[in-house]
Amino acid sequence: MVRYVIRRLLQAIPTLLGVSVISFVLVYNSPGDPILIRTFDPNITQETREILRRQLGLDQPWALQYIGWLTGVTLRNGDVVAEFGRQDTRCSFAAALNTTFCDNGAGILRGNLGTSIATNQPVWERLVERMPATFELSVSALAVSLLVGVPLGVLSAVRQASLFDGSVRVLAVVGNALPSFWFGLMLIFFFGVVLGWLPTGGRRTVSLTNEFDLLDRVRHLILPTIILAFGGIAGISRFMRTETLEVIRTDYIRMARAKGVPANRVWFIHALRNALIPLMTILGPTIFGVLTGAVIVETIFSWPGMGRMTFSAAVQRDYPTVLGAVMFFSLLTILGNLLSDILYGVVDPRVRL
Amino acid sequence: MKNRKISILAALLVAALLLAACPQPVPVAETAVEAPASDAAVQGGVWVEGSSADATILNPILASDSASFDVLGWFFPSLLGQDPFSGAIVPTEMAESWDVSEDGLIWTFHLQDGVMWSDGEQVTADDFKFTYDAIASDLVETPRKANLDNIASIDVLDLLTIQVTYEEVKCDALNNLGLGWLPSHLYAEDFSDVMDSPLNEEPAVSAGPFIFNDWIRDDNATVLRNETYWKGAPNMDGWIYKIVPDAGARLAQLQTGELDLIGVQPEQLTTVQLNPDLNLHKFQDDGYSYIGLNQANPENPQAGQDEDGNLVEQDPHPILSDLAVRQAIAHALDYDTIIENVYLGQGYQIAANVLPAVGWAHDPSLEPYAFDTGRAAQILDDAGWTDSDGDGVRECNGCATAEAGASLTIRLQTNAGNTTREDLGALVQDQLNSIGFDIQFEAIEFGTLVGELLGQTFDMVIIGWTGLGTDPNDDSFWHSKFDTPGSGFNFVSYQNARIDELLEQAVSVPGCAAEDRAPFYQEIQKIIHDDIPYVFVTGSVGNTGYSKKFNGTDPGPWSFYHNVETWSLAQ
Repeated sequence: MVRYVIRRLLQAIPTLLGVSVISFVLVYNSPGDPILIRTFDPNITQETREILRRQLGLDQPWALQYIGWLTGVTLRNGDVVAEFGRQDTRCSFAAALNTTFCDNGAGILRGNLGTSIATNQPVWERLVERMPATFELSVSALAVSLLVGVPLGVLSAVRQASLFDGSVRVLAVVGNALPSFWFGLMLIFFFGVVLGWLPTGGRRTVSLTNEFDLLDRVRHLILPTIILAFGGIAGISRFMRTETLEVIRTDYIRMARAKGVPANRVWFIHALRNALIPLMTILGPTIFGVLTGAVIVETIFSWPGMGRMTFSAAVQRDYPTVLGAVMFFSLLTILGNLLSDILYGVVDPRVRL
Repeated sequence: MKNRKISILAALLVAALLLAACPQPVPVAETAVEAPASDAAVQGGVWVEGSSADATILNPILASDSASFDVLGWFFPSLLGQDPFSGAIVPTEMAESWDVSEDGLIWTFHLQDGVMWSDGEQVTADDFKFTYDAIASDLVETPRKANLDNIASIDVLDLLTIQVTYEEVKCDALNNLGLGWLPSHLYAEDFSDVMDSPLNEEPAVSAGPFIFNDWIRDDNATVLRNETYWKGAPNMDGWIYKIVPDAGARLAQLQTGELDLIGVQPEQLTTVQLNPDLNLHKFQDDGYSYIGLNQANPENPQAGQDEDGNLVEQDPHPILSDLAVRQAIAHALDYDTIIENVYLGQGYQIAANVLPAVGWAHDPSLEPYAFDTGRAAQILDDAGWTDSDGDGVRECNGCATAEAGASLTIRLQTNAGNTTREDLGALVQDQLNSIGFDIQFEAIEFGTLVGELLGQTFDMVIIGWTGLGTDPNDDSFWHSKFDTPGSGFNFVSYQNARIDELLEQAVSVPGCAAEDRAPFYQEIQKIIHDDIPYVFVTGSVGNTGYSKKFNGTDPGPWSFYHNVETWSLAQ
């Protein structure tokens, strides 16, 4: 088991490296230029742009930029120690190679995601600032998806072909099809503006003090959770319906029924337990879906999370932030899948790790 | 310190894209008439402004986005004020008066005495000098380096006197002096900490009406009343900048009272107008929307001048370099319908590049192009663009610029996500195709569009200018020296020696008197109107919706908050 986990973690290293190369190449070769976007203003001269570009290292070939991003070490022709040397950037000139080596202490191999072009903040700091908001929303959406999706799926399997089953299946299709940006605005309008029951967005009621108020936080969480959980409920209820149908056709369920075990006990104790096992396998992808779905939901509900930040960083071509977020999400996905596999072994002793 | 926020903005963003809707400019009609303020001002209350984007950095020389200036504008003093209604430069900020030498090169500014940073230090000429020296420093990565162009020296004569010497007379030179001042006593003398100072995220001191309180990224920024503000402490307790990215959600929050001020989209106007709890401030924004027509071949972008400043002959655009085609396009568009249906009435047709708001330079006698499809078709027929194979698209049959048989096929692009421009693109495509064009319209992501635009690889583009300010000098759009692929803003590769000459003369008139500069701009407008490098679609109209929570609001087109310190909570 421990060996299995260690092996999987070691396998994650080449995966992450691969992700880093592919995303780096994709991001750097996408059209658009972070400097132009930042300086799309006739008052800013080309000279200024070139200085900014050089200072940020964006004038270098992408392979050198990639090495710099990976290791924090950049190389440049000639002796430019005076130009690039800073308190936090040590440069030295190798006369034999006519090359200046600079080390800015960053580099993802050292666990440093670099500095945002747009805000000049460390990328890791930007992510950490927004993590609580995203996790709060994701965990709450995931919990609601499971708590609602699982019973719905089981009940609709048990009452297969009933009106209830039909409604749940329709709901599942609608849930997958409804664009969340539209549905979100409808809920905001209805519950926020017309009825005035719930806040229309944000994570808290803003005030000059921004004090913590649990009830206020929960009220702000309700609408975005519903929207974000909607897709999850749809997916999980369909999955559970199929799995439950499979399980209740097995011999041991028939046996239990024949012995006279009450129906509810059969469904929810005997059948549910076994139907839940495969659910572990889609938990990883579901977590990933909730995290990516958060990009849109965070925007509509003014939720200050990582998804929204990543999206706006992509629009601004803030390469370090986008790449940092991609690496972080990749790591989460790998860990999520690993967790999924481990849990599978825990709940189903037949699976040997 | 009247119009503090917008004065800085206007000076900086002399022309940034219409993308960010920053509230600004010249009233169409003053709608908001407030109840007269009661005798005793009521203390307290908070004003919440809704914004689509968060600030990025709270340092006036490092920031380049309007959201950052919305917040940092409260803290940093600036040299020059701006009249909130006319936009004229006025001595309402740090400079209480100034003198100009006879040759127009030396400007001496006399500063307000007794203006204090909130930590008790006095705001002095040293802060001004420090700020501009910081911009010049190699240690500071700032997009504001060009603000120093043409400045020969900045000298501190005494604590309250600044002397700025220019290299040559440039009539719009004062615009470069509008940046907010850094508190020099809190920074290292050698500028080594300007980039990384924690002050960039938490400005510790303020010389404006509010002081910094808190900033939760992507959520909100809050500022508190500055009890020592030199124009008098505001009555309100504070101001909040709340980030609400979605326009529909912003309107909803204005309706519920969670927000007090938003920029209103045209399709949201009725909702605001019908709401008895809301005011609407409508103003002519200092910008316009246009269709840029690339005069040069997009497959072979070239600079407009060589290194010695001589004009470089351009490889002409196979279709759009034909004046007849440009005239046909200008006559084929139904401007009234466009303004009514695409801009929902929030616009007005313009004839050329100087807006009516700049009254002294605008030429009202110039008529905008009239919608006349018959005439447009006739122009194309006469110019040798006819449909000889009956497929509905014209081909070159004896036209001036394209190869014989080439079809009248042109790409039209705009930025995706801007629904107004996407609607306009569809309508333009429809109207031009109806007279025999084959317009290939696509909306592409903004960053990509910027690349195509400045790279000069487009045919026609729908875009706009905003924040043009009060000076009519717009040489960066027309002068051949700004036709530099990859960077210059004369990306339509317009080349006209006479225009170059007029633009240069207009900003170097001795004395810079309006009546002496006006004739140059009138001739420029005439030429631009006749040459059609842009098809001018509409002048911009802005709308701000705001709550009636405070008495005393008096929004001007150039500043909403110019008298914020006198606002008083409505009972």
